Amino acid sequence: MVEFVYSNVDREMEAYGFDSVTRTHCRMCHGGCGALVYTKNGKVEKIAGDPESPIGHGTLCSKGLASAQLAYHPDRLLHPVRRIGRKGSGKWQRISWDEALDAIAEKMLGYKQSFGAESVVLGYGTGRENEAVIYRLANLFGTPNVLTAGHLCYGPRIATGIITCGSNPVVDYENKPKCVMVWGNNLVIANSDEYKGEDLSVCLDAGAKLIVVDPRLTRLAARADIWLQLRPGTDAALALGMLNHIIANELYDKAFVEGYVHGWEPFVARVREYPLDKVARITGVPEEQIRAAAHGYATTKPAGIQWGVAIEQQINCADNNRLLMALMGITGNIDRQGGQVLFKTPKIRNVGKFGAHDMLPKEQIAKRLGGDRFRLAGNFAIQNPKCIWDAIVTGEPYPVKMLFFISSNPVMTRANAGDVYRALQKVEFMAVADFFITPTAELADIVLPAATWLEMDYIGDFWKRHGYILPRRKVVQIGECRSDHEMLNDLAHRICQGEHWWDDFEQGLDYILEPMGITWQDFRKMKFVRGDVTYEKYKTRGFSTPTGKFELYSTLLEKWGYDPLPNYTEPVEGPVSTPELHREYPYILVTGARSPGYFHTENRQLPWLRELQPDPFLEIHPDTAAKLGIHDGQWVVIESPRGKVRQRAKLFGGIRPEVVGAQHAWWYPDKNMKGQYWNESNINILTEDSYESCDPAMGANSVRTLLCRIYPDPDQSDRCGGNASGMQTGDRA
Amino acid sequence: MNQLALIIDHEACWGCLACEVACKQENNAEPGIKFIRVDQEIVREKNGKPFFSFNVNTCRHSECEGTPCVDVCPTDAITVRADGIVVMNEDDCTGCNLCPRMCPYDAIVINDNALVTQKCNLCYHRVDNGLIPACADNVCLAHCIYFGDPRDIRPLIEGRRSVRDRI
Repeated sequence: MVEFVYSNVDREMEAYGFDSVTRTHCRMCHGGCGALVYTKNGKVEKIAGDPESPIGHGTLCSKGLASAQLAYHPDRLLHPVRRIGRKGSGKWQRISWDEALDAIAEKMLGYKQSFGAESVVLGYGTGRENEAVIYRLANLFGTPNVLTAGHLCYGPRIATGIITCGSNPVVDYENKPKCVMVWGNNLVIANSDEYKGEDLSVCLDAGAKLIVVDPRLTRLAARADIWLQLRPGTDAALALGMLNHIIANELYDKAFVEGYVHGWEPFVARVREYPLDKVARITGVPEEQIRAAAHGYATTKPAGIQWGVAIEQQINCADNNRLLMALMGITGNIDRQGGQVLFKTPKIRNVGKFGAHDMLPKEQIAKRLGGDRFRLAGNFAIQNPKCIWDAIVTGEPYPVKMLFFISSNPVMTRANAGDVYRALQKVEFMAVADFFITPTAELADIVLPAATWLEMDYIGDFWKRHGYILPRRKVVQIGECRSDHEMLNDLAHRICQGEHWWDDFEQGLDYILEPMGITWQDFRKMKFVRGDVTYEKYKTRGFSTPTGKFELYSTLLEKWGYDPLPNYTEPVEGPVSTPELHREYPYILVTGARSPGYFHTENRQLPWLRELQPDPFLEIHPDTAAKLGIHDGQWVVIESPRGKVRQRAKLFGGIRPEVVGAQHAWWYPDKNMKGQYWNESNINILTEDSYESCDPAMGANSVRTLLCRIYPDPDQSDRCGGNASGMQTGDRA
Repeated sequence: MNQLALIIDHEACWGCLACEVACKQENNAEPGIKFIRVDQEIVREKNGKPFFSFNVNTCRHSECEGTPCVDVCPTDAITVRADGIVVMNEDDCTGCNLCPRMCPYDAIVINDNALVTQKCNLCYHRVDNGLIPACADNVCLAHCIYFGDPRDIRPLIEGRRSVRDRI
């Protein structure tokens, strides 16, 4: 009888006659999960999880498994191109890397001379392990303008984490928390900064108590001991209510509060403004549920809060983060084993050092667009996108002449997409590096072919705060594609930064690793390196904040002119704050719930992933659908004061009747049309980006809390959607 | 002889669909043809609150009682091996479409392009090489797809469920 063993590499090699297998790690999301890549005749043939990976333990998600379909996609850009027609004409001419980089360098230097370095804006999308290299180029060039997703995704956790307790508290799943409160995160589907959620899944299977805060019923919520279905955007009020219960009933860790907290008394006074009856009225969550959740979280030790991006895409962004950290702190779960740990990165040149932030002159920092408006963001080199679009369109406070986006598709992903599109149409020169000619790249002057994770050497998880670094090993070369690191290293030499860069980017990897006393060639033979794991470091060294304490009362926010105590603000649009608008647009719209296979704008071209969900869908409660005459699977129009788009109705009893949930980042690359239907289903056509609608400290957009109306689309044709028969059926009305 | 099948701990499934893609990578079935399929069940009330779970569906192989697809096939394209794997031999299939109607589990798919019916063959080409079927080979983040003899695995799943529900 054969013995079956998981991930049997030797037998795979033998049975399929593969030529090689490379141990590396995936980056179809932010990266991290160990992967085994098998090749035959120089081509990737099979991708599997690596059982020796400390992240994922051999499991791999749909995206990772389909990576070869991305790498070898027939539409993939395999060489640099220059646009030869007008913007959006789709007319491109092949050029060499030298021509492309020379042209970009010439523009950068020219604009710097005529308008200042700040007239050139670099940008990237979500974290793809290229952040540090992009900041390095920008800082050395002298531009303070790097447009990322950091204002509304992960950046707020880092920024508020640092000002509150010196780092980003991460749940210590390895040591099995006995209670996990998942707040605005569906990590098992979304694959957010906590990888695939495999560790969470294992904890729950070991019997951990689960509390879920989410306006939508996810499978996590369905499995939870307590599910708090709050009104979208009222997270801060809910957290204040839970804190109120914990403080009033003395369920907090008194030793921690007495020894390590700054601002306890004023904080308690603020929390007392939120008694449970008031919080229940604001959030729509019954008092007894709030009490049960607060009690469960505070009394089950150790406990972790798994926080997600949903809490950041609202006007309460920074305060939501700070209030959840307050919960972690006062319950004594901060930096406790099995709680929420401030992990240490191995001794390398970290993203801050490598990013050369200390090389940007003070007078250039002062020119950061939006830096004086959104001051928490500005102090972390993070920007609000509208500040950039406005400078392009109005030339105020100074003109922005050039954009260079690397793995970013802002036409699809930034709020108020119509205005984004107009700004990109107007900007004088734009370069883009990506896998495909995306709707954003269609407006570029030059597009550079970017490497996938299968085509690069790199030090992974470098930017995250989980305490690991992992070698990513190049498996194949495809076309002329190059990694973001390699192309920027090459560009740097052409814009007079040569002394700070390297002949070959491998030396850049050596530079990152140098403090550990190893080179890339040493590191590539290793499985991973983990920083020292120690707990309760604050007991000997305090917290890395101005007071050395866990700052419930933020001295830095006070210094920057903000309320030093967290508070709750009503969503910008909603039944409470804009009742008149609510009469016209009677449904609360939440956006951006994730589905398997896609990562923001990516992967709609890949057949194995597209068939998982061929069309975008809008979740509607069956009662609401019945009232509006909407059937499951029907195309519906979703409309806000900014515009309208269409998605397919999915009847779903797991959402409140007054709330609907739309998906984000949908375009239709398979239709081979100019524009690729960028505005057909793109929910950001509907989202608001006025400065007043943003978090005042962080500049986060309220893309998850708006108002809309919905009705069946009179045109039911599948003019750009996929095949309705492949769609998962929703609940029947 | 050991009997083989995929045994699913449906309660543990998160609906991530990695198994569907692992199957595609191995068997490269045409778009729309799924040998393994994860369905999101309709929201209903459970213990006074809304609830749903996922259901992972595929051929039951050795666990299928009576294997009606085998009996109904006029060309003997479907056979049962000694280890319980139910194999559809597409070369012998004439596309008469009788078997999908007989399948109690809705696990046989009609391929209109190729004019055949298709289903999970439990990756017997892997199994015979000592390899675990693609979807069960340590892919699933919930570790909810098991491969082996159901008599050994059912108690494992029951054990896991009792730990999970401990608190």
